[in-house]
Amino acid sequence: MSTNKQVTLSRRNVIKGGLLLGTVAAISIMPIKVLKAEETVKENTTVKTKKQIGFSYDEGKCIKCESCVRICQETYQWESDTPWRRLLKNDKGNALSMSCNHCADPACAKVCPVKAYSKRDSDGIVIHDASKCVGCGYCLYACPYHAPHIQKKTGAVSKCHFCYNLQDTGSGPRCVGVCPTKALTIGDMKELSKKGNLDYKGLPSSKITNPSMIIIPKA
Amino acid sequence: MGHWGWLIAIYLFLGGLGAGAYLASFAAEKGLLGKKTNLDRLGYVVSGPIVAFGAFLLIFDLGQGLKKPWLIINMFLNFSSVMTWGIYILSAFICVAFIKAFFLWKKRQAPAVISYLGAILALATAAYTGMLLAVVEGIPFWNSYLMPVVFVVSALSTGLSLTSLLAHFFEKQQVHEMRVSQVHLGLVATEIVALAAFFALIYSGSQGTIAKISANMLLTESLSIPFWLLLVIIGLVGPLAFYLLQARSNKKVLLTSGDQNSALNSERGGIGLLLCDGAVMVGGLTLRCLIIFAALPVWNGILS
Ligand code: SF4
Ligand code: SF4
Repeated sequence: MSTNKQVTLSRRNVIKGGLLLGTVAAISIMPIKVLKAEETVKENTTVKTKKQIGFSYDEGKCIKCESCVRICQETYQWESDTPWRRLLKNDKGNALSMSCNHCADPACAKVCPVKAYSKRDSDGIVIHDASKCVGCGYCLYACPYHAPHIQKKTGAVSKCHFCYNLQDTGSGPRCVGVCPTKALTIGDMKELSKKGNLDYKGLPSSKITNPSMIIIPKA
Repeated sequence: MGHWGWLIAIYLFLGGLGAGAYLASFAAEKGLLGKKTNLDRLGYVVSGPIVAFGAFLLIFDLGQGLKKPWLIINMFLNFSSVMTWGIYILSAFICVAFIKAFFLWKKRQAPAVISYLGAILALATAAYTGMLLAVVEGIPFWNSYLMPVVFVVSALSTGLSLTSLLAHFFEKQQVHEMRVSQVHLGLVATEIVALAAFFALIYSGSQGTIAKISANMLLTESLSIPFWLLLVIIGLVGPLAFYLLQARSNKKVLLTSGDQNSALNSERGGIGLLLCDGAVMVGGLTLRCLIIFAALPVWNGILS
């Protein structure tokens, strides 16, 4: 009797142990699968059906006046070391004016635990709600373009919101409006993506987040 | 780029340590650590408080959340965020671990479902500490499915060490089962293999050049001294050698005396074992810190 009982007990233990191991394997491997699967689904459907606006930057037209950066700072009063828009330059004379790219697959929104990010269905703008943000910093690691920054004063993240309030009243974003040579423009990504992408000069692969921005390199 | 530093590293370490301590006591209770054991209680007792303290530390790393703590409750909201999963897993684990400890304190047998639930949540906690980093595509060095594996093995190892240390100082009944050292030998060996595989994967180029630069920081550059000294020599190879020697000499004893007397081992084990357990924990903490500090973004923010 007693030996019998021991045998069944240990077998049950083995089964339980197996279950435990299975769970751990599932916990560690599943999310990667799930997240990857989610991406492919999005790539195949949402991106093509929903409207997505984006930026276009024509390097050849840019005179590096930095008006776009200045007007953005004046309007939204961000701290200088946590910029919403930057004019990147290298010593070979290349330039790129860049903000948040309102990605089709925003990594920031995926990782933010408090859902501070939302992506508008109507135009694909990614808006960050600073009143929800706990300032955990997870999105700063997730965004490959260094768009979100934690503001010193508030401890909350802030980033470019594509001047959605102005766009809702029919005018364009401030940076685009102020650009004297029309180097920086906006458009529908369906059209823009025919003209280019953002894989340029060491920038991260656009496969990660599907940014809604293209650059037309100077000839 | 991000601002994660010491606090996050210690949080990840404590998460793994508490989870591992729970699992050490769980294994001891199930008889996996030898017939006679004194490891079957203290791991349970400390696991909840350790993980809770780690989670508490995290609050100090929050920018706005520290000033407006009521916002933290929203961290349960986004089911696509691994951090949200972690909040669920950690809260559930802390609760179950406290319940289990409560039963111990009342000297009553906890329902089996509590013990098993705790064990599953402990594994989930340990895995989560690695997943948090592994899903970040913006940091190629972290973005590896071997990251949670390394973290889970390290959690088991550090948890067993902590439980052994505590048992040495706080349990009246002193037993030294060879079995514990054997299990620990297995864990340390597995961790070395997992870590080697982690670096091999990076140097195979599958995660790109930035991940390699991060790896270089650890192996040959700015972080190489803590990496080789604190993690590899003190935290891994030292304990590995010690447990190996112990297993060897134990075999000899077995051959000569023909009987596995645990008291015999305790004489030689003593201080060495304690040092070893301490070293394993130093290695575990170093591992978390190094992984956090070696994070390089996929793009450094400048035009090449
Ligand atoms: S650029 Fe960064 S912050 Fe902006 S939507 Fe993409 S991932 Fe999010
Ligand atoms: S820092 Fe704020 S916006 Fe970024 S992930 Fe954390 S809570 Fe979300």
